Amino acid sequence: MAEAKQLFKEFKIQSVSEFFRRNAAMLGYTGKIRSLTTVIHEAVTNSLDACEEAGILPYVRVEIEELGREHYKVIVEDNGPGIPEKYITHVFGKMLAGTKAHRNIQSRGQQGIGISGAVMFAQITSGKATRVITSTGDDKIIEAWVKIDVDKNEGKIVRKEKHPNPKGWRGTRIELEVKNVRYVRSKQGVYWYLKLTAIANPHAHIELIEPDGKLIVFPRSSEEIPEPPVEMKPHPRGVLTDDVYRMAKKTRRNTVKRFLIGEFSRISDKKVDELIEYIAALRLIKTEKDKNVQEQLYERLAKGEVKAVLRSFRGYTKVVKQVAKIMEKPPEKLTWQEAEEIVEAFKYMKFLAPPTHGLRPIGEENIEKGLRGILKPEFVTAVTRPPKVYSGGIPFQVEVGLAYGGEIQSGFDLLRYANRVPLLFDAGSCVTTLAARSIDWKRYKVDDLERAPLVLMINVISVHVPYTGTGKQSIANVDEIQNEIRLAIMDAARKLQTYLSGKHRRLAQVKRRKTFEKYVPEIARALSVLTGEPEEAIREYFISYIENHFAAKASQAGAGEVSENA
Amino acid sequence: MPKSKAVKREKPKERFSYDPTKVLNKLEEYGRRILEDIKVGKNPYFDIPTRGLNNVYFDEKRRVIRMGDKLSRRYFLNVAHTRKFMQTLLLMAYVKRLVSENKHASLREAYYANKHTIPGTKENTFEDQRESDPIIEDLERMMGVLREEMHLTADRRGYIYGDIVIRDGEDEFNTSKLGMGGWAVPGTVEHLQFVEVNVDYALVVETAAMADRLIEEKFPKKENALIIATQGQASRGVRRLIHRLHYEEGLPIIVFTDGDPYGWYIYSTIKQGSINLAYLSEKLATPEAKFVGMTMDDIERYGLKNVTEKLKGIPPNKKGGPTGDYKRIIEEMNYPWFQNKEWQRQLQLALKMGVRIEQQALANKSLEFVAKRYLPEKINNGELLP
Repeated sequence: MAEAKQLFKEFKIQSVSEFFRRNAAMLGYTGKIRSLTTVIHEAVTNSLDACEEAGILPYVRVEIEELGREHYKVIVEDNGPGIPEKYITHVFGKMLAGTKAHRNIQSRGQQGIGISGAVMFAQITSGKATRVITSTGDDKIIEAWVKIDVDKNEGKIVRKEKHPNPKGWRGTRIELEVKNVRYVRSKQGVYWYLKLTAIANPHAHIELIEPDGKLIVFPRSSEEIPEPPVEMKPHPRGVLTDDVYRMAKKTRRNTVKRFLIGEFSRISDKKVDELIEYIAALRLIKTEKDKNVQEQLYERLAKGEVKAVLRSFRGYTKVVKQVAKIMEKPPEKLTWQEAEEIVEAFKYMKFLAPPTHGLRPIGEENIEKGLRGILKPEFVTAVTRPPKVYSGGIPFQVEVGLAYGGEIQSGFDLLRYANRVPLLFDAGSCVTTLAARSIDWKRYKVDDLERAPLVLMINVISVHVPYTGTGKQSIANVDEIQNEIRLAIMDAARKLQTYLSGKHRRLAQVKRRKTFEKYVPEIARALSVLTGEPEEAIREYFISYIENHFAAKASQAGAGEVSENA
Repeated sequence: MPKSKAVKREKPKERFSYDPTKVLNKLEEYGRRILEDIKVGKNPYFDIPTRGLNNVYFDEKRRVIRMGDKLSRRYFLNVAHTRKFMQTLLLMAYVKRLVSENKHASLREAYYANKHTIPGTKENTFEDQRESDPIIEDLERMMGVLREEMHLTADRRGYIYGDIVIRDGEDEFNTSKLGMGGWAVPGTVEHLQFVEVNVDYALVVETAAMADRLIEEKFPKKENALIIATQGQASRGVRRLIHRLHYEEGLPIIVFTDGDPYGWYIYSTIKQGSINLAYLSEKLATPEAKFVGMTMDDIERYGLKNVTEKLKGIPPNKKGGPTGDYKRIIEEMNYPWFQNKEWQRQLQLALKMGVRIEQQALANKSLEFVAKRYLPEKINNGELLP
């Protein structure tokens, strides 16, 4: 038996860089191609978010320079609001401390590691500091080299210069030097990522300069800046004990009751009274020894018969009074166990569906603009479904876009997004893939999906997207979400079907017309022999007859389907 | 040998009526009608009697297979019809040229003459003779004229021998003075004129071998008969010739075939017409024709049992039957025109005996037997089947 002392000799506090290295996969830094995409993703996401919050139409330029074998310099520049000098270290240097972490808000990034993760990645692969050039549009431009002190988990500026800003430039440019990465034009690479980003963000102008100097422009196709998402109070059905416990510690409200009403959605005075009864009932049910009876009581509770359940216990009013006291105490005194009781009771109670005003879909019009602008299809359509709820309390929304033909190459492509962020990996297990494959495309006149020039984009929006893994590249197969995706696809596919059948009909019409026309000279010659009338005149009669017939047909077709009996 | 009254020439019932202007007028009429339709913005069409069994019936009164009145309409402005519409007109124009120039063409020539690539396409007006032949049949049906009248010739098969004088264009000849081979019947017989007919009846013979035998035995001369060899199923030319000789010259027609289902079917076609050419029955069929043999009774009567052959196929009472010859006999038993005592008896007998007998089997007696005894005896005694 080893002594505890000996065991604890090896015990060390894990540094942030250590954590980063161990969890690189979780953060998107795995594989040479994906790591580069992740660096760019973090930078571009920051730029787009910053622009949106400042109400600026984004202009983002990405430049990749090859410095050596698997060694690149990545430059991302935007026209965003810029970063005030004193926040530079916060933005780029501190991990797990983003502005949006732990807020109930729809956001592109979620862990709050984002760009500081990229800085960290650059630092541990190339040893170089990240160069930041930024200005808020005032009289100076800041140029700073940022590193992360891995032990302290703090950003530090290793060098800083100030330059005059005579032209009033505003924006941020960062340069990172990274190794162990590779630039490839694959479906997991930077090019594809930016293309997908451009489609989902038609208000952004995005440029890419590839290592060989080639400039690729994804132009802006919408002048409409999306409204930044707003914070939503959590819905009682979507919270964990830890959420309640932690929020209670931080709140400024003076009682638990006021805290619950004030910081959760759909909780009113009446709901708190109900909550008291449910907690009391749950406490009492736990005292019941007979397992069968207990089961029955849980079931009745789930049916909402809380008063009846309470009355089945003698002296229940005492328990109710005890529980009521919890609601009156200061929230910071709320114990873990009490928080647990509250969350358990929430599961049995009924609440109005959560509010959805915080969800920010791209919108049908903008999806169409994005697809049209980037893919140049001959047909495009989009569907944004109304918000729905999964797991009882987490609002989400699904939108899809369909683009067909034109410059799209044959072969079905599925573009997946979560909160507008392109998902490039783990397509197979993603609910979007499952939903897209479950559609009977033949029904919508897409006879051979694998060879159709068809692009389907799916965007799942939620304050909490249920990813399958830490990589955040695949959305879990939640029934409610899959259903919504299917409905959205079918809706869009119906519009595609209408377009395709119209196209088929027009093509068939042209073909039919040609069939008749090609025989006219033969017929005219024969009829001329039979009747003695001049061939030319007979030809005219037939041609104008065909002309009139198809003109009449075309005007009828406008009104609706036309029977094909010639 | 005394002449029997059983078979003798009758008065003509029909006058030779071939008139090329009739065909030309019809063609022009169709062309004009189509032109009028298109001028007033109507979809032009042809009405063509439907082909096939479901538009064929047996006319009990006239005793011929006839075509019903079901029509199919062939439109110009119909994707499924338009090609045939064009082909119909092409062939009509071609026929007009043939008839007005008094030239004849075979079906194959008609096909090649009208086949060409349609300008601006890779498509031919006709891809195959199987496309042009049915259109010609359609024209016959549609206009009620024979293709021979349209100067499109049918297969040439069969010959005649006997004391008749025929005028064929500029040639005039007696068909008993052309040697043992007789005179070959051309594809179209419409233009023939019968200058002299010195025979009492026409004997239609299935096989050339038998016809040759009869000629060698001087049967035509002795019996004052015309021999018509069909060489198997009678060609349209031969059938039309038989029809004309019967109706225009009053010649009785007596048919002499093998005693088997095929022979009886040849007889049935000459007499009632065929399903395929039902629309021409009135010009090709000769319902008054009679049958001399071979019959099943002949086997017993002339002691031919040892020269019969077994019917092919499985009899109706055996497992898997009836097939082959048996099946055909049963089919023939169901023909409306075989619904009489004599024929039913013959056919039943064939089924029961399970044998067939060829014309040539009579040579078993002697080479002269058929000419000197069998035929004169049966014909002069009127021992003929209806």
